[in-house]
Amino acid sequence: MCKLHSMKHSKILTTAAFVAELHDRVDLHLQQAILIYQNSSEEQLNRTAENGGWSIAQCLEHLNSYGSFYLPLFAKALKNNPGRPVGQVKRGWLGDYLIKMMDPDRKAVQYKAMKKHLPAPKLDAYKTVAKFIEQQEQLIQLLAAAGSADLNGIRIPTSISPIIRLRLGEAFAFLIIHNERHIRQANRNLGQPEKQFIASSGVANLPGNTSELTTIAE
Amino acid sequence: MDAQLQQLRKFISLAQPIPEADWLQFAELWKPLSAKRKEILTHSGEKERYLYFVLEGQQRVYYQDAAGREATLVFTYAPSFGGVLDAMLEQRASNYHYETLSQSSFLRASYSDILRLKQSSTSVDAFIYKSLSATISGLLMRMVELQCFSSEEKFRALLSRSPHILQQVPHKYLANYLGIDPTNFSKFINKLSI
Repeated sequence: MCKLHSMKHSKILTTAAFVAELHDRVDLHLQQAILIYQNSSEEQLNRTAENGGWSIAQCLEHLNSYGSFYLPLFAKALKNNPGRPVGQVKRGWLGDYLIKMMDPDRKAVQYKAMKKHLPAPKLDAYKTVAKFIEQQEQLIQLLAAAGSADLNGIRIPTSISPIIRLRLGEAFAFLIIHNERHIRQANRNLGQPEKQFIASSGVANLPGNTSELTTIAE
Repeated sequence: MDAQLQQLRKFISLAQPIPEADWLQFAELWKPLSAKRKEILTHSGEKERYLYFVLEGQQRVYYQDAAGREATLVFTYAPSFGGVLDAMLEQRASNYHYETLSQSSFLRASYSDILRLKQSSTSVDAFIYKSLSATISGLLMRMVELQCFSSEEKFRALLSRSPHILQQVPHKYLANYLGIDPTNFSKFINKLSI
């Protein structure tokens, strides 16, 4: 397990501002997938990273497994008694910890992913990309609904354990920051900067990082 | 707003020049509008009150029924008009949805305003007539493609008309529009990318 970090106080964001920031990030992820991933060759999508890490398809499949778990929960929560928007979207210690752990600008640390989130070695690359795009479009629509919901009061289970719950707002942030992390990882497989719609974090170049992040633990 | 109206004027002039006096009245009818990705501008069952002119982004008109069947009928992108045309012309409830597939911006005019102006302006009337003819032509050609062309021919015809669409729209919508299985569609993409 990774080291515990001190909790920074999260920015004060209203529901509207919080949702807008997350929406813009998901939109960028979609643009990347639509412009580049779905137009790449199967070979390129399935190609293992130079350092032996995940291919683009594996990164996206990993993200799809999280989406498959969380998106139906978000949809259900927003449908049943969504409540009202809040003046400050809160983060508890667990949400803060998980979000910080996923921060793509942090130095990469190797974690072991939970088995259920490990991508298969061989994938139908185009189906994987299509599923990723589908999930991100759903996420866009869920964020639109989240704009009029109580992101603090609604709790949802995590894929770590059903008794470990996050506020809905934290869960959205966690999922999207986790997406960002692995999209940057996927983009490093592209090589050419002009194909990297979302800039690589440069994590691989930090001293002491001989291998890039390949797996994540919750 | 001026630059946007100029885009509209330039587009219309390709088919039908509009004299200055008529243009000034026509220009007044249009208001700017933006929308995020995956916003439905017109729902099936609603009246189509507007004619849209697309300035940025991609959108689609699609059919969806209770049995889960979906048909993407039309893509709109700059510069072109948008909205559910038949519902607009007949001022009745739409059978289709009009939604954005990306962040989008438009000029939008109320169709009842355009109808009023059409009665006094021969150039606006002529423009609407020409646009409708071109739309019918396009639809007939599309029917030919759907009925006679192989999957690969349909794919290439789409690319020749809209060369950038592969990079702008999720392929599932394109495959649906062409009546091609997504797996076959991916094979064409793979061929192109090698």
